[in-house]
Amino acid sequence: MSGITLTDLTKVYDSGAESVVAVEDLSLSIEDGEFLVLVGPSGCGKSTTLRCIAGLEDVTEGSIQFGEQTVTDYSASERDIAMVFQNYALYPHMTVRQNIGFGLKLSTSLPSAEIDQKVDAVAGMLGITELLDDKPKELSGGQQQRVALGRAIVREPSAFLMDEPLSNLDAKLRAEMRTELQELQANLGVTTIYVTHDQTEAMAMGDRIAVMNGGVLQQVGPPEDLYRHPVNEFVADFIGSPSINLLDATVQSGTLSGPGGFTYTLDDSGSIEGYERVRVGVRPEDITLVDDGENTAIVNVVEPMGNENFCYMELGDVEITARVLPSHRPAAGDAVPFSFPEEAVYLFDPDTGEALKTKTDEATDVAISA
Amino acid sequence: MSTWLPNDDRPGADSDAGSLRSRAWDRFRFARQTYSRVVPEVGPVAYLFIAPFFILFTLFLAFPIAYTLYLSFFRYEGVSGDRWFWVDLGPIFVEVPQIAELQFVGFGNYVRILGDGLFWQSMFNTTYILAIQVPIMIGLALALAIALNASFLRFKGFFRTAIAIPVSANIVAYSTVFLLLFNEQFGLVNYALATIGAEPIAWLRSEFWARKTIIAAVTWRWTGYNMIILLAGLQNIPQQLYEAAEIDGASRIEKFRYVTLPQLKPVLLFVVVLSTIGTFKLFAEPYVITGGGPTNATITIVQYIYREAFQSWNLGYASALTVIFVAIVSVISVIQIRIGGDN
Amino acid sequence: MREQRRKDAVWRFLTYTFVLTATVVMLVPLYWMVVAASLPQELFIEFPPRLYPGTSFFENFTALQERANFVRSIGNSVFIAVVYTVISILLCSMAGFAFAKYEFRFKEPIFYVILATLVLPIQLLVIPLFLMMSQIGWTDTFRAIILPWLANPIGIFLMRQNMQSIPDALLESARMDGATEFQLFYRIALPAMRSSVAALAIILFLFQWDLFLYPLVILEDAANYTIPVALAGLEGTQRVYYDQIMVATSLAIIPLAILFLFLQKQFVSGILAGSLKE
Repeated sequence: MSGITLTDLTKVYDSGAESVVAVEDLSLSIEDGEFLVLVGPSGCGKSTTLRCIAGLEDVTEGSIQFGEQTVTDYSASERDIAMVFQNYALYPHMTVRQNIGFGLKLSTSLPSAEIDQKVDAVAGMLGITELLDDKPKELSGGQQQRVALGRAIVREPSAFLMDEPLSNLDAKLRAEMRTELQELQANLGVTTIYVTHDQTEAMAMGDRIAVMNGGVLQQVGPPEDLYRHPVNEFVADFIGSPSINLLDATVQSGTLSGPGGFTYTLDDSGSIEGYERVRVGVRPEDITLVDDGENTAIVNVVEPMGNENFCYMELGDVEITARVLPSHRPAAGDAVPFSFPEEAVYLFDPDTGEALKTKTDEATDVAISA
Repeated sequence: MSTWLPNDDRPGADSDAGSLRSRAWDRFRFARQTYSRVVPEVGPVAYLFIAPFFILFTLFLAFPIAYTLYLSFFRYEGVSGDRWFWVDLGPIFVEVPQIAELQFVGFGNYVRILGDGLFWQSMFNTTYILAIQVPIMIGLALALAIALNASFLRFKGFFRTAIAIPVSANIVAYSTVFLLLFNEQFGLVNYALATIGAEPIAWLRSEFWARKTIIAAVTWRWTGYNMIILLAGLQNIPQQLYEAAEIDGASRIEKFRYVTLPQLKPVLLFVVVLSTIGTFKLFAEPYVITGGGPTNATITIVQYIYREAFQSWNLGYASALTVIFVAIVSVISVIQIRIGGDN
Repeated sequence: MREQRRKDAVWRFLTYTFVLTATVVMLVPLYWMVVAASLPQELFIEFPPRLYPGTSFFENFTALQERANFVRSIGNSVFIAVVYTVISILLCSMAGFAFAKYEFRFKEPIFYVILATLVLPIQLLVIPLFLMMSQIGWTDTFRAIILPWLANPIGIFLMRQNMQSIPDALLESARMDGATEFQLFYRIALPAMRSSVAALAIILFLFQWDLFLYPLVILEDAANYTIPVALAGLEGTQRVYYDQIMVATSLAIIPLAILFLFLQKQFVSGILAGSLKE
C-alpha cells in the first residue's frame, strides 16, 4: 500500500484536426490510506484523471507515482490497483464467484483453492455469500454493486479507484451504500480515489476533496475547508447545496451596492481595497429573515422541507435563496427584509473569480446546521 | 501486498490446498498466463484480429470479383500452364501460375449478349416469375403475419412453427419433393384436382404451368421466412397507436391502412427487396424441377450462366453475363430502396 | 353491439380458416414426402396416390445406400457445414470485435469495402473460384468448398454490430484484472455475445448447407458429394427411383426440421439478423 502522486499530469485527446485538453498540469498527492474524492461538473476531466491513474488512458505529459515507483508507462494490469465502474461492468456470463475470482485467476499464481478461500472471505465481508452462484442479471442493483466492490477488494490492491459507483442506485440505497463504503474503506485502510459529480456525496465521503473544472484542478482540501474557504467563485458555487447566492456589486468606500437596491456596508473593507466592482457571495443558511433587515427581496416560492424551508426570492434580476426555520413561511409576492453577518460574506474578484474574503466566523457547526 | 484476506502461505499448505485435478488445472493456468504475455498491446493487436478474415476476404472475395470483370473481356481457351508472375530471391522462389489461357476480345462478349436470344429469354423468364411470385408471397406473408399477431388467435406457437418450418428445408431437397408433387401421373396436386373433379394438368410440359410450378415451390419455401420478418415488424408497432386509432373510431381496415401499413413500410420494403433479389438469383428450383424447360420457358439467368460456363465452357462469355446479372441485382436494390424513400 | 360481435366472430372464423389452410399447405408436402419414402415404388406411382405411410422405408433406404451411399453425402454435408460454421464464426467475430472495439488506421475504409460486397450475389464468384481451384488442384476437395466463404461479410457485419453493445467498461475491467487482448476477446466478448453467436451460427450453417451451384461445379467424385449435389445426381440417372429419392429428401429435410423445432428461437433471431444485412 502506498500513496499516489500526480505530477503535472496532462491529457490531450487528439482526434485529427482538433485536439481537446481534458486534463491540464494536474499535480496532486494522495496520502496512503486516504479517501480522496475527485469532484466537478461533467466534462471537467475528473474521470479522465482517474482513467489515467488506472492506466486505461495514456498520459500525454507528466508522471504518476505509486509510492516511490513511477508507473506512468505501466499497463493497467501491472499497476496493482482495482477499479469499480459506474455500471459495475460485471461479466454477464460468469457467476458471482467467477466474477470476483477472475482477476486472481488471470494474473496471480495462487492455487485455485486459495482463490476460492479469498472469494469466500470477501463475499462474507460484503454479505453476498448466498449469491455466489448467481449470474449478475439475477441480482438487484445494490447486490451488483457489492459484487463489483468484491471484485476490487479480493485483489488486495494498493489503491481503489471508483468511478461514480453509486450513481445507478436509487436515493435510499445510495445513502446506505455511502456509509458502508466509507466504513469498508476505513477498515481496509486502502488509498481510495473516488470520482463523482455529486458534491453532497463528495462532502459526505471524502477525507479530502479535489474540485476540478475545465481540466484544471481548482482546490484540494478537507470538505469543511472547501466550504468555508474556497479559493475561487467556482469552488464556492459548486460546493454546498442549495448553492451560494452570488451577485455583482459596485464598491464605494466600503459600501457594496448591487441589483434591486442592494446595499451593504462592510466594517472591514481591507480585502477589497482598490476594487470598483466585486462579486458578493452569501450562503443560504447565513441569510436570516428579520424585520429590521437592511435589504429587501420579493418572495417567489417557498419550498417546505419539513425541518427547514427554502425561500427563493428575487433581488432585482438575481434570484437568492435563504434557508430558514420551518416557522418562516412568507407568501409569494411578499417583500421580506433580510440580513446576514459580515463574517459570513464571501467576496470574489469579478474578473478572475479569485476569493478575496471568505468566512471569518468561528462557530462552524452552527453555520452548517442552521 | 497481502493484508486482509486469508493467505495460505504456511509451509505445506499447497499439498492440502486442492485436489489433484485442481492442481493440474492450475498448472495449465499458469502456463497459459506465461504464453499470453507474448500477445502485443492494444494498438497492433487489432490488425492481428482482422488479419485472418482480411486475407481470406482478399483472396476469395475481392480478387475473384475483380477477376470476373477481367475475364469478361476475354475468351477462355482452357487451363494454362504458364506463369503469371514469379519472385526469385535465390533460395526463395515463389511462382503464381496463370489462371487460364485467355484470348482478348474487348467488348465482344458484351456485344454478343445484346443479340443473344436465350439470354433475353432467361431475363424474361426470371422477370415473369418474379413479377408474379414476389407480390403473391409478400401478400401471403403479410396476411399470415397479421393473423398470427391477432390477439384472439390461440396455438400461435404451433401455427408459427408449422408455417415457418420450410425455412429449414434444403433447397435441392424440397425442389425434388415439388418435382414429384407436381408429377403429371401420380403427383398429389393432380390428385387433389381430380377429387374436386378437375382435369389433371401437365404441369411440367406446358410453358405456362411449368412457370407456375416454380412459383408455387418458391412461395412454399420462403413465405414463412418473410412472415417471421414481418411478424417481428408488426410486434414493433406500439400498441398505443392502435388504441388511439380505436378511440378515434377507426375500423379494422382503417387501422390497417393508417397504422399498420405506414408503420410497417420500412420492413415491408426491405422484405420486397430481399425477395426480389432472392428470386432473381433463382437456380436450384428450375435446375431440379424443370431443368429450364419446357423449351427454355423456365431457364433463369443464373441457370443460363451456369450452362454457358460449365456445360459450354464459355467462361469469358459467362463472366460477361455475370457482370450484367450483378449490375441488375445491384440496380434493383438501389432503386427499391430509393422508391421506399424515408431512409 | 350485437352487429359488432357478429362481425368479430366472422373475422375470427376467417382468420382461423386462413391460418389453418396455410398450415396444411406447409405441412402436406413434408408429410407426403415421408409417406412416399415409406412406400415401395409400385405403390407410390399408383393413382390415386396412397396417403398413409407404408412399411418399406428401410428397404428403400438400403436400396438407396447401395446405389448412391447417401449417408456418406449427409456426413460430408454435416462435416463441411460444421467446420465451416465454427471457423467462420471465429474469424468473423474476431474481426467484428476489432472493428467494434479498437481504433486503427484504415479502419473505416476497410470496413466499408467489406460492407460493399454484402450486396453482391455469391453466384458472382463461382466462375473465378472454379478457375482458381482448378489451377491449384483443389477441385473435388472439401477445403475448396469451405475456404472461400469463411470471410463472410454478413458475419463480420453482424458481429461488429453486436460487439458494439459490449460496454467498454467491461473490457477495461478485464484489462485491469490482467486479461490480455486475446483473452478479452475469447473470455469476455465472445461468451457475452452468446446469443448473437448462436444466431450467426444458424445463418452460416444454413448458408453452407444450402450451397448448391458452387459444390456442383467443384465436386466431381460421388464420394465427396454434399447432399444437394447428391440429390441432383439421383434424379439424373436413367431409371428414376422415386421411392429412394424420397428417402433421400426425407433424410435431408427431417433432421433439420427437428433441429428447427428445438432451436426455433435461435433460428428466428438468425433469420432476423441475417435479413437485416442492408
